[in-house]
Amino acid sequence: MNKKFPYRRFLEVIPGGISWGLIIALVVLAFFKPVACAIFIIVFDFYWIIRSTYLTMLLVLARHRLSSEKDKDWLKACQALKPQGKWEKLYQLVLFPIYNEGLDVLRPSLEALKKSHYPKDKIIVVLTFEERNLRSREHALKLEKEFGDIFFACVSTLHPDGLPGESRTKGANATWGARFARKLIDEKGIDYASVIISCFDADTCVEPEYFGCLSHSFLTLDKPHQASYQPMPVYNNNIWQAPSFARIVEISGSFCQMIESMRLEKFVTFSSHSMSFKTLVEIDYWPVDMISDDSVIYWKAFLFYNGAYRVVPLYITVSMDVAYSSNIFKTMAMQYKQKRRWAWGVENFPFLVSAFLSGSRIDWPVKLRRAGQLLESHVTWAVWAVILVLIGPLPLLFGGNFFSQMAIGYNLPKITGLLVNFTLFTSFVWIVLSRSILPPRPKGVSWFKNILMVLEWLSVPFIILVLGSTPALDAQTRLLLGKYMEFNPTQKGIK
Amino acid sequence: MPVFQRIRAVLFYLSVLVFFAGLPFILSFALGYKFNPHTFKFTKTGLIFLKTQPEGASIYLNKKPVKEKTPASIQELMPGTYKIRLEMKDYYSWNSDVEVEAGKVSRMDKILLFPLRPEFKQLNQESVSSFRLYPEKGVIYYLDEDERVVFKSDTNGNNPQDIAALPENFTDIQGWDVSADQTKLFLFNPHQIAVVFLESPDIYDYSDSPVFLDYPKSKLVQVFWHSDNYHLVVLTNRNIEVVEVRPQSPRVSLVRLKSQRIRASYDEKHDTLYFTCPLEIGQGSGCSNLYKLAISPNSYIFDMPLKNKTDE
Repeated sequence: MNKKFPYRRFLEVIPGGISWGLIIALVVLAFFKPVACAIFIIVFDFYWIIRSTYLTMLLVLARHRLSSEKDKDWLKACQALKPQGKWEKLYQLVLFPIYNEGLDVLRPSLEALKKSHYPKDKIIVVLTFEERNLRSREHALKLEKEFGDIFFACVSTLHPDGLPGESRTKGANATWGARFARKLIDEKGIDYASVIISCFDADTCVEPEYFGCLSHSFLTLDKPHQASYQPMPVYNNNIWQAPSFARIVEISGSFCQMIESMRLEKFVTFSSHSMSFKTLVEIDYWPVDMISDDSVIYWKAFLFYNGAYRVVPLYITVSMDVAYSSNIFKTMAMQYKQKRRWAWGVENFPFLVSAFLSGSRIDWPVKLRRAGQLLESHVTWAVWAVILVLIGPLPLLFGGNFFSQMAIGYNLPKITGLLVNFTLFTSFVWIVLSRSILPPRPKGVSWFKNILMVLEWLSVPFIILVLGSTPALDAQTRLLLGKYMEFNPTQKGIK
Repeated sequence: MPVFQRIRAVLFYLSVLVFFAGLPFILSFALGYKFNPHTFKFTKTGLIFLKTQPEGASIYLNKKPVKEKTPASIQELMPGTYKIRLEMKDYYSWNSDVEVEAGKVSRMDKILLFPLRPEFKQLNQESVSSFRLYPEKGVIYYLDEDERVVFKSDTNGNNPQDIAALPENFTDIQGWDVSADQTKLFLFNPHQIAVVFLESPDIYDYSDSPVFLDYPKSKLVQVFWHSDNYHLVVLTNRNIEVVEVRPQSPRVSLVRLKSQRIRASYDEKHDTLYFTCPLEIGQGSGCSNLYKLAISPNSYIFDMPLKNKTDE
């Protein structure tokens, strides 16, 4: 972390400043120069059509890759690697930073580890609870008792509240847990380079072949310590029980991650992922005062290795819970807060740029490209839905008779209509793909839910309006104003 | 480079190519430019938008048929004047010259096509002297040719019924109207108003229907129903007054007039009379402006003239 960088505050203003500047400029333009605004909107609409088509094709490719590697026996593939027996030296350290999740959430995650095909005597499980939560000690004891004998080790630790320099973030808890694990690894005399750490959200359930797939990637990769390993997150734990609104949002989130997995040059870690324990120790763990720990750990490693660090996609899923609550409004609020927390990843921009400007030895073209990609992705996130949904009609509203008599005034709604038709086409592809990643329908869930799961995609325009850009704009505005967010974990649904 | 990344690179560059190759065409289309493949130049054009009622008319542009039918837009037209003809079976054709300007839309979106054989039908059997239409209530009232009977039917002429007999010897009818609650009808001639009850007047202590209101010294010009369905707003050549619909009712003269050259319109929703007429206000001399007279059950407010006009 480089909070002493003198222009850091200025850097914090940039993303929100650009997003708001763009929105305000377009509104002003729509009022005073409706033709110029309409031209911008048409260019943006066309760009969006091309972009969404391109991204949907990437999604199809990613989905194809996921299904083609689904039934692969990864352990067998590891065994076939030369020199033989190399994989057997690897230890899988699984870290669960736990905020206040109950046993109903934690137990299935550990059960999934138990069902893993990977040798259990090579799996170390560390549960790191927040000490400030009253039931942490009780949960820790219960889980240690239940799962202690199954793995090489299954231990828990309580992260004290209010340590100097720490904020109440998941990163602080994870760092505490990793340091605790380090002591255990030192005691056992295990080489850090032989340990792969997987930092999982508390509700993460891995597939039986996950660690085999991870090990295979690790062992076959050139410079495996200079990479993070990103599985595909799906929200299948309770997807059949979740309400439509939340289900659509989470499926879209999974799809976005699958698309990102195809864009390796800008792929960044997200949510549950794995990396070399040696690297984690070298880069001094997660930041203890930033909310976006899952992505900033990548940037820390990227800076540490002077840009020679990457994220490798693992085409195997880890399943988590859909976040939902007792009614639609609470669910919307919960989803909004979760997306805003994700969008708070914009804090990576000032972090990264200040590091770039503080003597990093990364080449300037790389610095410019990565900072530009980060800025562009967050600004696009914050403005795309606003431009498409809210600013699109403004030239027609503000332009008056003069604008409606212009050819562009007549053609603007037609071109916007073309965009809607294209969106329908891509939505159709997404519907088909969403069906393909669903787990089997559980007993007790009506068959008609299959139909509902198709029809619920009709709510996409509404979801775009509520959750498209607003959470990102909210997060950027907070950063712009210096009103820093606090970590507020999402309450997950019932399994 | 792995095969998926190669495919992705191809898709990416293809998308970039489509974007930059397609953008000039999209923008030129939006702005009304036409690309000439022979000269490789863009020329600014205009378009005509045609919308008819009913839809589906064939379009002829300078006598040449256009593929689309209305509503349709004819794009990429060079600036100039075009002869448009719209044709539809069993309808009169529509012809017009339409001026097209570069980069602009000539909107002809309120074209009505009229049928060759208009649909009309006879609504009643009797000869009619006059009628009143109340479309919001879906009814028509009409008087027979001799002005002795009031008929009522719906707007399609269904359920016709003679609902009242008009008073005998009441001739030279100048006007008539039915109250908003459809329980009463007034008729007036130059010196008398007759109010006929279409329903039994059991609420008020009336004498037998009809009620006559006499104006032997004035000449009646116009009469309106007040929204309470009980008062009449009466305009004579001498004054504007409000009367109750009962014999020997008190008459309140609100405004004195100098002439029978009065033109008036009554806003029943707000009980306000708008009129123009020379009148006497206090000691002042008459002037002919547009006036607004608020008539409510509680007060009568005589507003200032809406539009001043030099006294002639």
